[in-house]
Amino acid sequence: MEFLFEQFITGLSIGSILLIVALGLSIIYGSMGVINMAHGEFIMLGAYGAWALKAYAGISLFPSLIIIFIATALLGALIERGVIRYLYRRPIDTILATWGIGVMLQQLVRLTAGGELRYVEMPPSLAATVDIFGVDVSAYRVFIIIAGAALFAATWMLVNKTTIGMQLRAVVQDRSIATAFGINASTIYTGTFAYGAGLAGLAGALVAPLKSVSPEMGTGYVVDAFFVVVLGGVQSLFGTVASSVLLGQLSGVLAYWQNDTVAKALVLVGIVILIRFRPQGLFVTRVRT
Amino acid sequence: MTAHLELSDVSASFNGFKAVNGLSLKVEKGELRCLIGPNGAGKTTALDLICGKTVPSGGSIRFKGIELGRHDDYQIARSGVGRKFQVPSVFRQLTVRENLEVAYCKRNGVLANLLRWAHSADSDGLDKLAEFVGLSDQLNVPAAHLSHGQTQWLEIALLLAQDAELILLDEPTAGMTVQETQKTADICNRLKGKHTIIVVEHDMGFVKAIGDIISVMHQGKLLAEGPVAEIENNPKVKQVYLGSVGISGA
Amino acid sequence: MMSKRTMRQVFVYGAVCLAILLLPMLINDDFLLNRFARYLVLAMVSMALALSWGYAGILNLGQAMSFGLGSYCMAMALKLRTIPVHTGSEGLPDFMVWNNVEALPWFWKPFYSMPFAIAAGIIGPMIVSAILAWFMFRGRVTGVYVAIITLATLVVVNLVIIDQQWATGGFNGITDLAQLELFGITFDAYSATTYYLIAICLTVCLFLALAVTKSKAGLILQAIRDQEDRVRFFGYDVALFKTMVFCVSAGIAGLAGMLYTIVMEFASPTFLGVQLSLSIVIWCAVGGRQSLVGALLGAILVAGMQGALSESEVFLDTWTLVMGALFVLVVLFLPNGIASLGEKLAEKFGSRRRAAAEPAKRGNAISRSTKLAEGK
Repeated sequence: MEFLFEQFITGLSIGSILLIVALGLSIIYGSMGVINMAHGEFIMLGAYGAWALKAYAGISLFPSLIIIFIATALLGALIERGVIRYLYRRPIDTILATWGIGVMLQQLVRLTAGGELRYVEMPPSLAATVDIFGVDVSAYRVFIIIAGAALFAATWMLVNKTTIGMQLRAVVQDRSIATAFGINASTIYTGTFAYGAGLAGLAGALVAPLKSVSPEMGTGYVVDAFFVVVLGGVQSLFGTVASSVLLGQLSGVLAYWQNDTVAKALVLVGIVILIRFRPQGLFVTRVRT
Repeated sequence: MTAHLELSDVSASFNGFKAVNGLSLKVEKGELRCLIGPNGAGKTTALDLICGKTVPSGGSIRFKGIELGRHDDYQIARSGVGRKFQVPSVFRQLTVRENLEVAYCKRNGVLANLLRWAHSADSDGLDKLAEFVGLSDQLNVPAAHLSHGQTQWLEIALLLAQDAELILLDEPTAGMTVQETQKTADICNRLKGKHTIIVVEHDMGFVKAIGDIISVMHQGKLLAEGPVAEIENNPKVKQVYLGSVGISGA
Repeated sequence: MMSKRTMRQVFVYGAVCLAILLLPMLINDDFLLNRFARYLVLAMVSMALALSWGYAGILNLGQAMSFGLGSYCMAMALKLRTIPVHTGSEGLPDFMVWNNVEALPWFWKPFYSMPFAIAAGIIGPMIVSAILAWFMFRGRVTGVYVAIITLATLVVVNLVIIDQQWATGGFNGITDLAQLELFGITFDAYSATTYYLIAICLTVCLFLALAVTKSKAGLILQAIRDQEDRVRFFGYDVALFKTMVFCVSAGIAGLAGMLYTIVMEFASPTFLGVQLSLSIVIWCAVGGRQSLVGALLGAILVAGMQGALSESEVFLDTWTLVMGALFVLVVLFLPNGIASLGEKLAEKFGSRRRAAAEPAKRGNAISRSTKLAEGK
């Protein structure tokens, strides 16, 4: 029983990281149809931001989260204005262009910060472990689970309860009609992309204390994030949550009784089969077209 | 004698919503049938069902006595069903001529088509088709450069190149000027008798210009059927076109 | 009957191939020839991708899978032909001995035969691709999802090859190979002979691919790229056509992979790595995805520039940056690559010559079509 619970907490912890990482991609892909291959690099930038702010300015993790969110969001807005907006009619080309951007960001970081691994300290207040039903859990992991839930709630409120969110949903439904009703679609898109990029930066900063930070770290995350989104179904925030938890539990179990390579390969095969038979995702139903 | 196309008690549902609900329809060979009805009546879905774009959830669709429901869309097309879509659908990057060549398909296999040059089709016949719809001068123009009306006509020409016995036209005059509509009516009238045609339309002027018998759909079912004059005075039809003065005003 | 455009294409393609074939007359340096031979191999894969991506709209992000499988087939055959292989009992390859493998695995045995290896290097990738294509295209997977599935498949195959070290050499790949001998000719990686072999294969494949695009099937593929559903409703089995072009492309990539092993003298998991696979896409996009010869030249140009700059560490670092930027710019401003510049130039020249005769005819055409439109 205790073992099962421990396994569950591990899975939940992985799942919450997946959720934080995937949320930004989900909102960009779901509402704009853009597969942002540079998403992993935004995460990497967030992680480096956390490292640099601590190393050079002595700012600890919590206050730096705000700076990182704003900075990566601004970068996202810049990229949307400069590149992405010219490619809305060519969805496959957005993959290529954002991938090119990702390569550039990665190389820029490598040139400026160096290729070696960096480490980000946990905030001292969260360095301890807490006891949950007889299981020792790192306080930081509990914090990540709470942060994931909070970010999701904030995003959900933003999309479903605010005027901006309503305008976004209108633009997603039909851009030209929304524009005809006076909604500035291009600003909405810039804002969405910026928000998604900001979330990615935040994700990077949040997971940095758990992992080592390197210029290549984003590549793995973008793959994971994309699978979460595909599994959950595009345009479904709740699907994203459900699939993060599911994938988190699954990889927790797989890692327990298989070697890492086989687990990775199996997950990929699962994803391929899923796309083939349910391209709309597990948690979305088909509608009349 | 069986009808050329016969739908009996056909249904289609999307997540429980029945877009077509027990539709029965008979069309004779060489007939031009107009299918009308208010928005959401299931007209386009009916065409989707016949050509295999949507799989029926019940009932039977027979074309030349053969059950279509179990076949894939491309197999249905091979049996002689041609479809024009509501949003004109042609190959925009290819020229008018190349469009016609793709549609002209005596043999559908991959190997047969690998061993044949692209420009070896019956060129006289294709030129005549282009002339028939008034596109002789645009043969080497990419389809993307055609006007909206010309694109619609090109798609009709493609169905003729395909040599479809049964032609399904979904709102062929949508977005056309009066003159263009007139020309489309001419084309339809000239095809009458040679092909079996089903036209989905909103424009009653156009329907009157081409149609003999009209079928009216409402809520996924056949509501009424008969000659234009009879349908115009049918009280049930008037009722479903609520708020308007009957179909003629629609 | 050949259209003017086809004739121009054949002329350009022929000229490019001739230039490639004549290059050894100008260069006497074997190291340089080896390098150019390498670019030609990469050009071949890039061209193969243009066939499926540019002409049929199938963005295969896993093109390196076929390439890598081909290269491993050749490496296995050449490994079995080395003398120093006899380190263990019954001539086991050295890395198997290190992995405590006692007997040659059954799937290695047929590779004693060179004809089998060559056939396997081409047909093997085609079969794997056919299965994958059938799986995808029967299920009507399109666009972005094709890109994701092919990429995921590539990663899976790559992981398996790295994981099964006892049979594949794992991370190190298969090294220390014999030189290929065919019809009494030895193909030294650093020789004009090998260069010619590759140049001839490239020429043959280029014209084969050109023939595919000029066939009726090629036209149908382009139609599929534009409007897949429309083609289906003319009675064509779209999945079959897509599978066909996917396989032809895989076969060419497999052949290229085999040649790559010959010219590099080893096979490695990086040959079917994500990095290489995405590089192929870049070459193809920069050169022009809708032009076979464009994709070919794109690969030579980009890979060549990278090779020339790779001598210096600093250059290589900035090169990655430049390449990323170049790629973004091409996607933004030249979606059909450098080749589209050439096409535009050719058309301009062509139309200038015809310009004098044209206006009268065009005016006539317009008045006629408006008359028709008015229904008179």
